Amino acid sequence: MSNTEYPKEILESLEDYNINIRDFLPGHGKGAKLLLDFNKIKGLEEIDGVILKGKEIKNGIIADIIIKKGVTLEDPIHLCFGVNKETGIQEIFPRIIAEDNSEVTIQAHCSFPKADGLIHKMFGHFYIGNNCKFNYSETHYHGEKSGATVAPVAYMYIGENSIFENNFTLTRGTVGKVKILIDIYAMKDSVIRSTIKAFGRTKNDSVRIRDSIFLEGENARSVLKMKAAAQNGGEVLMYGVTEGNAPKCNGHVECNEIVLGRGSICRARPYIRATDPEASVSHEASLGRFPQKWLDELKAKGLTEEEAIQTLIEAMLGE
Amino acid sequence: MEGVTIPTYDLKCEIVNNISFKVREKSIHAIIGPNGSGKSTLAYSIMGLPTYKISKGKIFFDGQDITNLNITERAKLGITLAWQEPARIDGLTVLKYLSLGMKDKSNIIQQAIKALKTVNLDPERYLNRFIDETLSGGERKRIELAATIAMCPRLIVLDEPTAGLDLIVIEDFFNIFNRVKELDMTILLITHREDIGMVSDYATLLWRGDAIITSTFPEVMIRYCAKAGLKEYCKRTIFQGEETACFDEDYIDRIFREEESK
Repeated sequence: MSNTEYPKEILESLEDYNINIRDFLPGHGKGAKLLLDFNKIKGLEEIDGVILKGKEIKNGIIADIIIKKGVTLEDPIHLCFGVNKETGIQEIFPRIIAEDNSEVTIQAHCSFPKADGLIHKMFGHFYIGNNCKFNYSETHYHGEKSGATVAPVAYMYIGENSIFENNFTLTRGTVGKVKILIDIYAMKDSVIRSTIKAFGRTKNDSVRIRDSIFLEGENARSVLKMKAAAQNGGEVLMYGVTEGNAPKCNGHVECNEIVLGRGSICRARPYIRATDPEASVSHEASLGRFPQKWLDELKAKGLTEEEAIQTLIEAMLGE
Repeated sequence: MEGVTIPTYDLKCEIVNNISFKVREKSIHAIIGPNGSGKSTLAYSIMGLPTYKISKGKIFFDGQDITNLNITERAKLGITLAWQEPARIDGLTVLKYLSLGMKDKSNIIQQAIKALKTVNLDPERYLNRFIDETLSGGERKRIELAATIAMCPRLIVLDEPTAGLDLIVIEDFFNIFNRVKELDMTILLITHREDIGMVSDYATLLWRGDAIITSTFPEVMIRYCAKAGLKEYCKRTIFQGEETACFDEDYIDRIFREEESK
């Protein structure tokens, strides 16, 4: 598959995130890859130690991605779910399995540059075995018309002594309507780091994200960071959930949301719950504007108030 | 500063009262005084922080009245402040932070490397780190100082640069001050530690909101000790360094008598 066979609008739309997606096209780079253009598989490349299967269905695909036992991948697996149309429905049903003692990074890109009435749904299952290092990052671009409705749901099981890092980023372009539901179940001695970043830029942008971590195994640990900004009437609601259900587990939820201009709304609902007397869970949340001291520090470097705010937003929501 | 009075934010009382002093160009000028004497208030008002607005008097910089200028305008004139407890900002790299105030944006990395070396930090280890909770207090203070140096300002206000640092780090800060001194910048050093003040050429003593004396550092130190009733401490401190040997014990006794008679 050459570069030109995959819609260049999708490739270019991710360049704002400093991602050169051309490096991930089949025939380029060394990693395994699965590329979807609307509901057609446009590229699928397996490598040793990785099973990658996809099956087209009416509105999208069912995909299996399996990283074999003990495999350490130097290059990331690349998943690109793009739609270069204004309207339509794209449905993805991925099942991702990392067998014991494997190490992998998966970079997923969901790009809908022309979205104007487009619906993207995902229902994903992640099974991460024992002693794994698993890094999953998902970067979204929904065009400039606030015309996408995006509703992914993911259930993630993280095995004993595994490290799982999850990064979701939607900070370029408009949002449209986003409803995300992530449930992560952490087993004994596992470590979870989950970071969600979103920016609602227009009055037609609405973000609702619930990221839940259930610390089910002894000594499981987690940090959940939710960072968002809303401007020009945009709306963001972040539910950060952590439950401590095992001895010596430890979880923390942090929500930081910045409101820019009147009419924009940020809401944070950190929810923590402990059912074990040896569990420890905590949360902190800040909403509104950046601390005045931060702004003063940057202004003392010669920045105007607007430049200082922009710098802080880029830092907060940056890659 | 000419006759500067700074009230509390609620205007109920005055933190500093009708103080005047001059800072000479390319010198290190210390503002010393006990806790609560108004040193940091003075630093913030020089930088133009809105919560430390002066109610009377004027501040001049290079002959220009800057009393009504905001923080950004003052920074653009070449004034900056290294904060006592600089903020930790998630997601902002050291390189980006150092570059914010650089006038010449063409060679940012080289300028940042130079600034980090001035404060004894290894550029390779620090340039791409975030200025977040992973940095210690000492590292963060050095980076703050490096960021002010990278601006090539004409006046740096250093607010308690050694507060909260251990003795070994403080020793290193002496070397850093001497290096900064060579950069032809004017430094206003806010400190309540007389050993830190030793690096300065001149000093002003703040006492309960009043500026008591502006002179060479040892002379100001004698007055400070006399105010605090610390005669033995004064002699020990003053006779420590060669530069201060010009003060004999009779002189110190006279100053103490003067203070006691007030």
